[in-house]
Amino acid sequence: MRNKKVTGIERLKVRYGRMFVLPWTIGLLLFFLVPLFSSIAYAFCNVSLVNDKMLSFVGFEHFKYLINDDPNFMDNIKDAVTSFVYSLPIIVALSLIFAIILNQKFRGRIFARAVFFLPVIIATGVVMQFVTGAALQEGAALSTSMGETESYSGIRFDELLINLGLPQSITELLSDYIARVFNLVWSCGIQILLFVAGLQSIPDQLYEVSKIEGATTWEEFWFVTFPMLGNVTFLVLVYTIVDLFTAFDNPIMKQAYDLISKNSVYDQSAAILWAYFVVVGAVGALILLAYNRILMKKWN
Amino acid sequence: MKNVKAQYRRYTRSSWGNFFYFFFLILFGLFSVLPMIYTVCTSLKPLEEILIFPPRFFVTRPVIDNYTALPKLLSNLSVPLSRYIFNSLFVSVSTTVLHIFIASMAAFVIAKVKFKGSQTLFMLIQFALLYNAYTLAIPQYVIFSKLNIIDTYWVYILPYLPSTLGVFLVKQFIDSSIPDALLEAGRIDGAGIFRIYYQIALPIMKPAWLTLALFAFRDIWSMQPAGTIFSEELKMLPNIMSTISAGGIARSGSAMAATVILLIPPIIVYMVSQGSVMETMGSAGIKG
Repeated sequence: MRNKKVTGIERLKVRYGRMFVLPWTIGLLLFFLVPLFSSIAYAFCNVSLVNDKMLSFVGFEHFKYLINDDPNFMDNIKDAVTSFVYSLPIIVALSLIFAIILNQKFRGRIFARAVFFLPVIIATGVVMQFVTGAALQEGAALSTSMGETESYSGIRFDELLINLGLPQSITELLSDYIARVFNLVWSCGIQILLFVAGLQSIPDQLYEVSKIEGATTWEEFWFVTFPMLGNVTFLVLVYTIVDLFTAFDNPIMKQAYDLISKNSVYDQSAAILWAYFVVVGAVGALILLAYNRILMKKWN
Repeated sequence: MKNVKAQYRRYTRSSWGNFFYFFFLILFGLFSVLPMIYTVCTSLKPLEEILIFPPRFFVTRPVIDNYTALPKLLSNLSVPLSRYIFNSLFVSVSTTVLHIFIASMAAFVIAKVKFKGSQTLFMLIQFALLYNAYTLAIPQYVIFSKLNIIDTYWVYILPYLPSTLGVFLVKQFIDSSIPDALLEAGRIDGAGIFRIYYQIALPIMKPAWLTLALFAFRDIWSMQPAGTIFSEELKMLPNIMSTISAGGIARSGSAMAATVILLIPPIIVYMVSQGSVMETMGSAGIKG
């Protein structure tokens, strides 16, 4: 496909190419790579911002402490991985279902898409804290930084449900479920978009053929739609893994963030995040590998 | 040129199936808009309704007091409100524009020029996508202080510029929609690389950079850097939220009113870019 011959433009582009990437590369170096390697260094050192000598090497000390002595770390990592493992398939499946519905022709389709994309637009920072506030209160690091405000801002599903006049135990259970569904729906925005875009690139002829061959809607989904979405699904998986992995409401992130913001402990928190990175990275890689091996192979 | 044409499928289901589908859609759609509706409702509630326990979802007697109270509430800030508005707009717009140029230039080269290290750079991008900002906060702080830019606008702008999601999306988009032949043609007609980039590539990449604009604007608009900005006159709008909410529960109506106002700009940016976002995401999925 690609022309191997080095043409005029190729030569010219190589010469100026470096100039074009330069600003971005410098930025990446300064604000990503250097900090990345320093944070690895932090994880293996004692860090003090007061002394002249900032770092003193301690080896695996922090990791040993986390695994053997830290009261919360192991539980938090277990929680994070469990919720990661159950959220991932639900989010991917939900997004696919929404995308299939949203890809059909009906009045108000653009509006409906905007509705599902809305969380993506507003789901950042302070504004988000005020909009959802206590709705995500369970384990939400978001609201804690606002201190007292969390007590009255945002939706309190549990309090709103009192209006229904149900017994308290049912209200609590309901509000818990609502909060969970809420969390899941709010993490589907980008994924739905990716799936809708993917669905639109499947040629219509395939569906015509399958209809002539007498496939049911169900067969059509499994033998046409799903395989054709292979690459998109992979991208969605990657995106969801990253998203869940770096979510503010996961207990590990919260633990690390608290250490930094409340106690100014940088070495320990770097160690937490790196340990977590390794664990979740391994789980994520396993899922992606399994997906590639089992499903993609079957289709190709 | 590959043209991804929108193809929609007609209903093939029974009316019962349709009913079920749309019930499902509406139910979950509600989850997605509820917080917004609640925010707007609360911002219109008079004080008595805010203090009711248990709280009601909808407002029964809407008033605009919470909005009209805002100027007075914000009149005792140490810096005039207009300064925060200027900061927010200035930082968001300039960062977004710079980010679009830097990211699209880099993506253009990574996609179209095979030079030594371009593959490594792309690997790095994908790795960086996986990485979280919190871990980098402290080492970044050290770099800020070495560059001597703490407590300046640069603290907002610089760290966002090399963010890798942008380069990733634009590169995927270029791969799927700008053929080499088009650039060759530009070259033969005597255009230099800057003209090729600016006059040929940039217009074609419009959906991609509009998508970047949405993401960048959204992120920067609500940014609240911790510990790097001290001067009140350099802070952005989200900071005034804490001033308002310091008034306690009686002020929650006004806090909601301010939230509604703060949500307007990102929503406008979304409306401008919404068609493009879909197109860009489509190309992102093609190569996976």
